[in-house]
Amino acid sequence: MSTLSSAINASASALDAQRTRMEVAVSNMANAESTRSANGQPYRRREVVLESQSPFETGFNQHVTQAAGVRVSAVLEDQSEFTKRHEPSHPDADADGNVSVPNVQVPEEMVDMLGAARAYQANLTAIGLIRDTIQRALDLAK
Amino acid sequence: MGGEVQNDAAIMAALGRHMSRAVQKQAVAAGNLANLDTPGYRTKEVRFSDALENELLSSKALTTTDSRHLGGTVVEARSESGDVGGLDPRRDGNNVQLDRELLALGRAGGDFNAAQTILAAKFRLVRYAINEGR
Repeated sequence: MSTLSSAINASASALDAQRTRMEVAVSNMANAESTRSANGQPYRRREVVLESQSPFETGFNQHVTQAAGVRVSAVLEDQSEFTKRHEPSHPDADADGNVSVPNVQVPEEMVDMLGAARAYQANLTAIGLIRDTIQRALDLAK
Repeated sequence: MGGEVQNDAAIMAALGRHMSRAVQKQAVAAGNLANLDTPGYRTKEVRFSDALENELLSSKALTTTDSRHLGGTVVEARSESGDVGGLDPRRDGNNVQLDRELLALGRAGGDFNAAQTILAAKFRLVRYAINEGR
């Protein structure tokens, strides 16, 4: 049973990671035009870094194959240049009439969100299949 | 086993091993799916044939003293997982293929169901015997 629960745990960790990815992509899109943030600068695009979890972290029975989970190791700010846009009437425009807008590319975020949604779905399917297996194993006791 | 009669216990044990094999396959496929977007992650698979071969080659192989003994067929359901070769990695070094893993999950589930069905039938027979055919 420990292998099956490790499999469910791995899939659950992936659901968590993909949801975080989705949230970050949504926050990037929502702030695509935010020219002010807490530090006075325009909003910086955020990026999720995923990291695979070693299945042997627990040191429990190394001969049994365990599923490797995934976790969000960091949410980093994209350090690329802000986009400049000429808009002299904007309150945050500089002396030349240029406004620094966040380094967010909306199509890129859309693609990232689609990827996260697809991975979420795949892991949900996996959980369903593993649950079926557990149910079948329990049926033996009937 | 060359026409030899196998007892129920051996068949049930084999079915049990078959089921735990399917479970391990499912676990590894679930782990691969979980790491669908982890940069640098390599698709893992369980290797049973290697484990079997090692077991047969090792000196631990059982010796038979009677023609009715089952020599060397009792292999522990031990397995190793390793990286799969021949899959093209993406630009981030990850080579997990969604369809391949979902197929592996489904196939392992089918294997498990098949063994479970037979094992359940075996259990029913044993119960029938215990209840003296009632």
